[in-house]
Amino acid sequence: MGTKESNNFCGSAEHSIDRRTFLGSAMQGGAALGAGAWGLNALRQPALAEALKRQEKRVILLWLAGGASQLETWDPKPGRPTGGPYRAIQTTVPGLQISELMPKMAGRMKDTAIIRSLNTKDGSHGTGARLMHLGRRDEPNLKYPDMGAVLARELGRADSPVPDYVSFYTATEGRGNAVGQSGFLGARYAPMSLTTENKPAFLSRQESISVSDHQQRAELQALLSERFARKRKLPAVGSHQEAYARVRGLMSSETLFDISQEPQKIQDRYGPTLFGQQALVARRLIEAGTPFVKVSRAWWDSHGQNFETHLELVTELDHVMSTLLDDLEDRGLLENTLVLTLAEFGRTPKINGSLGRDHFGSAWSVSLSGCGIKGGSVYGKTDQDGQTVADGEVGAGEVFATIYQALGIDHQKDYHLGARPIPLTDPGIEPVKEVLA
Amino acid sequence: MSSDPKNLKISKQINRSDILMSIARLPDSNRVFVGSSDGKIYDLDVMVEKPEVRELVGHDSYVTGLAHVDKALISASYDRKLIWWDHETGKPIRSIDAHQRWIRKLVVTPDQQLAVTVADDMVCRIWDTKTGQQVRELRGHQEKTPHHFPSMLYACTVSPDGKYLATGDRVGHVVIWELATGKELATLETPIMYTWDPKARIHSIGGIRSLAFSSDSSRLAVGGTGKINNIDHLEALSRVEVFAWQKQERTHEFKGSEHKGLVEHLVFHPENHWLLAAGGDHNGFIKFLDLEKSNVIKQQKAPMHVHDFTVNETFDTVYAAGHGKLVVWGMQA
Repeated sequence: MGTKESNNFCGSAEHSIDRRTFLGSAMQGGAALGAGAWGLNALRQPALAEALKRQEKRVILLWLAGGASQLETWDPKPGRPTGGPYRAIQTTVPGLQISELMPKMAGRMKDTAIIRSLNTKDGSHGTGARLMHLGRRDEPNLKYPDMGAVLARELGRADSPVPDYVSFYTATEGRGNAVGQSGFLGARYAPMSLTTENKPAFLSRQESISVSDHQQRAELQALLSERFARKRKLPAVGSHQEAYARVRGLMSSETLFDISQEPQKIQDRYGPTLFGQQALVARRLIEAGTPFVKVSRAWWDSHGQNFETHLELVTELDHVMSTLLDDLEDRGLLENTLVLTLAEFGRTPKINGSLGRDHFGSAWSVSLSGCGIKGGSVYGKTDQDGQTVADGEVGAGEVFATIYQALGIDHQKDYHLGARPIPLTDPGIEPVKEVLA
Repeated sequence: MSSDPKNLKISKQINRSDILMSIARLPDSNRVFVGSSDGKIYDLDVMVEKPEVRELVGHDSYVTGLAHVDKALISASYDRKLIWWDHETGKPIRSIDAHQRWIRKLVVTPDQQLAVTVADDMVCRIWDTKTGQQVRELRGHQEKTPHHFPSMLYACTVSPDGKYLATGDRVGHVVIWELATGKELATLETPIMYTWDPKARIHSIGGIRSLAFSSDSSRLAVGGTGKINNIDHLEALSRVEVFAWQKQERTHEFKGSEHKGLVEHLVFHPENHWLLAAGGDHNGFIKFLDLEKSNVIKQQKAPMHVHDFTVNETFDTVYAAGHGKLVVWGMQA
């Protein structure tokens, strides 16, 4: 169970001091970097790293694979030729309307911000998805870590018994576009990727080995490793021991993936769909300390019958997302948990002959809820038909900077790859301060 | 009734910027009313070179059903309303909140005494066309699909003798009702018209989009689309199944051979010379089916996805409303 502890990093006076201290130190730390291996950075300074990690910030990304329509979710245009047949409804935030397909979210926008002015200039599933996973483009000779890998590194604890980065993508369509990428951070921050079942395969103890046998083997391994390491100071030895510890931790976390451990009432709240079940697993994981969970809901690519597809998928999203936010709030977790809806792009305002909408990266929306977010805020504006961004244009980099900043992470901090400093977001990128708490 | 589908030819085409979802024609004229995605109804003589167009304003969403009753026009919309209009003045006479969700189809009985609507609240309602009072409501369709998503009730039709009513939904379930009593007489299943993709995309597409009774009421034609592989698109061939519904026996299966998409509307020739089907995907089609020979008499590409059509008294002219176009076909023998 979660606690109701107040969050010192999201809005409180102590938080602001901590953040200032952290940012200042991070800059000093950044200036001292460059001499060592790539892994050197501000968070490698134990005090700073732990200051952030103690906050137990968490992220759940609801990845709307295939491209959800902004017009049927966060940026409706009722009465316009491009608006489609759904109405806009008033939310609990004065002046803020969203699609009528989201009545439950309309009732709880107090924790959610919308960015309505995203122009990613990319209508391709593959490259659009990479962009919205990385916040920028890979270079020919440099693969960047995706958001999950960065946050696993920034928010995860080395001694954590639970996985740092878990990714669900059960549908087969588009899965290859949304594969986790740890890039130059290395395999340590690659996701635990679940594609067929909600529970990881090969995590269970083999039935042929009893619990006591398993425990004894672990103790023997630890004893031998300790003796071995005592006389050797090689980093690889420590890494080897850490890997064993993590495997044991992961095995002990097997039950986190089992929603039957939850009371029936909670299971019923999330509902019977796969998306609902995986959102519940995500909540269990972040409650246990996993810093980043991606739940992919595919496939929104409604070239034909857009309105029927969105009736199915937005209705489900509305239920699952609102239930997740309510559950996190009930458990005192929401102020430390950031819940995102992202996709590779939105959908065209123009309605095609199949009553579908096509790929559209020029003017679309994302949402951010919970930790560090100014609930009820809206940033940016599209024109009356949703064809272009009319005000506040941002790209993927700004969205990522906003996410990092909401979590108390300096988006300008550098990693180092050899002597080359690599900032978390590209130089010149700024967060959208208007949606930050 | 001297028509020959083999002579099918477009006689008029009017391009528009909106999506036309429904059409009704005044008897013995070329004057049509079309229901638009902009919530308006447009009244025009379609064969005039530069027709004068009158707007009927009252709905605030797609107008999906139109039917004439004496001197009135009844319209149905995704805004859940039914509106009665005076033909001559174009002014609304009556407006009622008819359903909880989108109204998908409106039909009127041959004697014009009753109107029937189906909506995504999964209820079929029968209305007195003179008073606007609800006569009966029929519940025979599940609100959720087997996969826990909202279902949709797309289609309804009344038999030419006025005795029977049929309704069809997203998952391919058809119910035939006795109109006078509301008694459920039979059910049919057309599972191929509903595609649930459990693996690649985890949602669904399809559904029964059109129904029509034969002139003797013994046959029921059901229109939709075939099983779809990639449900991002309406990529399956259009599909019509015909049932001897009282025997619950499928007598015909027109799987389609050329044109993809949904069969949006069906009409039987009164002497059963043909069954006319039209619809589409990104493109449109119109096709004449011969039940006796179980073959296609004539099929051709339409200039647009056809959402609705109506046929004149001599069954030699088709007036169709669709995506960005209003089209008239002639097929005089």
